[in-house]
Amino acid sequence: MTGKSFVEAWNEFFFAEQSPIPIALFRILYGMAVLATLWLSREDWIAWYGPHAWVSLSTMQAFEPGPRLNLFTVMPASVFWVQMLFWVFVASTVCLTIGFLTRLNSVVVYVCLASIQQRNLFILHGGDTFLRVAGFFLIFSAAGAALSVDRLIRIWRGKEGVEIRPRRPWAQRMIQFELSLVYFVGFCWKVAGAMWVQGTALSYIYRLDELQRFPLPSWFLNETLMKLATWFTLVLEFALGVLIWIREIRYYLLAIGLVFHLSIEYSMNIPMFQWDVLTAYVLFIDAADLERVWNWISNHVRPFPGERMTVIYDGGSERLRRVANLLGALDIFGRLRITDARDLGRPSGVDAKAARNEIVVVTNSGARQGLEGMRRVAGVVPLMWPVFVALSIRRLRAS
Amino acid sequence: MARKSKGAEQRAGARPKKLNGLKKWQYIAINTFLMFHILAITCWCMPLSSPFIAVCRDALRPYFVWSGLFQSWDMFSPQPKATNSYMEALVLYKDGSTKIWSFPRMEQLTLTEKYSKERYRKFVETILDNKNAALWPDVARYVARLPEIRAGQPQKVMLVAKWSDIVRQEDGTFTRALWDEHVFYSYDVKPEDLQ
Repeated sequence: MTGKSFVEAWNEFFFAEQSPIPIALFRILYGMAVLATLWLSREDWIAWYGPHAWVSLSTMQAFEPGPRLNLFTVMPASVFWVQMLFWVFVASTVCLTIGFLTRLNSVVVYVCLASIQQRNLFILHGGDTFLRVAGFFLIFSAAGAALSVDRLIRIWRGKEGVEIRPRRPWAQRMIQFELSLVYFVGFCWKVAGAMWVQGTALSYIYRLDELQRFPLPSWFLNETLMKLATWFTLVLEFALGVLIWIREIRYYLLAIGLVFHLSIEYSMNIPMFQWDVLTAYVLFIDAADLERVWNWISNHVRPFPGERMTVIYDGGSERLRRVANLLGALDIFGRLRITDARDLGRPSGVDAKAARNEIVVVTNSGARQGLEGMRRVAGVVPLMWPVFVALSIRRLRAS
Repeated sequence: MARKSKGAEQRAGARPKKLNGLKKWQYIAINTFLMFHILAITCWCMPLSSPFIAVCRDALRPYFVWSGLFQSWDMFSPQPKATNSYMEALVLYKDGSTKIWSFPRMEQLTLTEKYSKERYRKFVETILDNKNAALWPDVARYVARLPEIRAGQPQKVMLVAKWSDIVRQEDGTFTRALWDEHVFYSYDVKPEDLQ
């Protein structure tokens, strides 16, 4: 590879614009993983991070000296403040998950996550570390460019249309790099250990009482199968670390990796580790394939929640165009046919004057406008169901 | 003459050169960021031992430790644990009575408890490692402060390790050795510990 072709490959890999759907999906899964981690630790929040925790802040600082990104060092040492941090962390993670003020909340989530991990480094597993490092690169990504409240706001403000604009994926690539490194470094450490090379490692691991979750059949624990499983782990970690970058075999490896992690989830008590790592698998799926999967799901969901509707708007009106774009973005299952009135000849049953001022919703029972029209639309678009409930209550009160 | 004036026009209206849709300084900054982090993270977590790598890690340490980018991926390696172990605290009260306080043991918890208490598994694993002896006073103090312990006026807290090795037999089968135990730390509770 010449220097020029290396630069071209580098630029293509990090800077060629692509759909932000994979990183947006990762943002959602990542947020859910962080929320689950927080929820699981809520009972012991004060025990681990409180002013009289298992490990005091001063001991932690003496043990791991040096300046660290750790809010506990600047916060008043009281239960109130520690609980406040928990709720700010939860609120910010919810905002990140739904993509509201995405960049700001990705920073807040990262700072909170780094703080609680720095506060007590002795209770962390690999999943926590992965969330922390991935969270750092998530800050720089275009995670809010799709599937987010931020995008809806941009559409409403007329800064964006229905089409999702492609973005440079360099920060997403760093999270992908991190995931492949997790496997490859894990492989390197393991091949340095005699038990892994001899094939006995899993025989020991599956006999650790503290790690057992659901029972395994006794035949699975026989020597030959344990050896094969140990060596298979080595091969798979190498493959997921290195061969994952080969497009032709990537999906096969991801599928095997998924089964591998789910089998560990079944058999071993390492809560959240599998899910934390699996969140990043979505980054290795092409946006076009994600779209294909989504279309398949949409085609199966589309017939269910009520009838499909036609929404007619006047494309000459800036306000109505924004509303139509917003509906288009919210209609993730394609339940609406959104049409510019100017493209229609003479639609039956639609008042041409009305279509100039308001969105017109054409249902089987006739055309609807105003709040009633919006209520009908909200009823068939799942992301608008809260609006449907609110407008239905309003209608009941009015009658 | 015409050519010259066209060139001057181009220079006058010239925009900053764009690379991959980025301004030059942005392109350079992002590439520096990428190259630095790829090399630094690789250098930090690969199990390589050379003087050069050691120097690099020392140089990276302040940034990695501050930012939270430190990481290690040595799960169950190079050798997995080959011992079942757990920990208890033996509390001696002022009236001479004793009480055993058990840390949550995963094998005795329900599925939902296992999910929420897993951090205790990791924590006990850390405490039982002699190189973390600096944590033992904090742990003993925490046990003394627990409401059910404090109420009885604890005088001494002893941390007890219990373990049983997993032994591989000649024929390839595995057995468990008998449970063994020892007190690895003893702490005299001070009045201010219970405040």
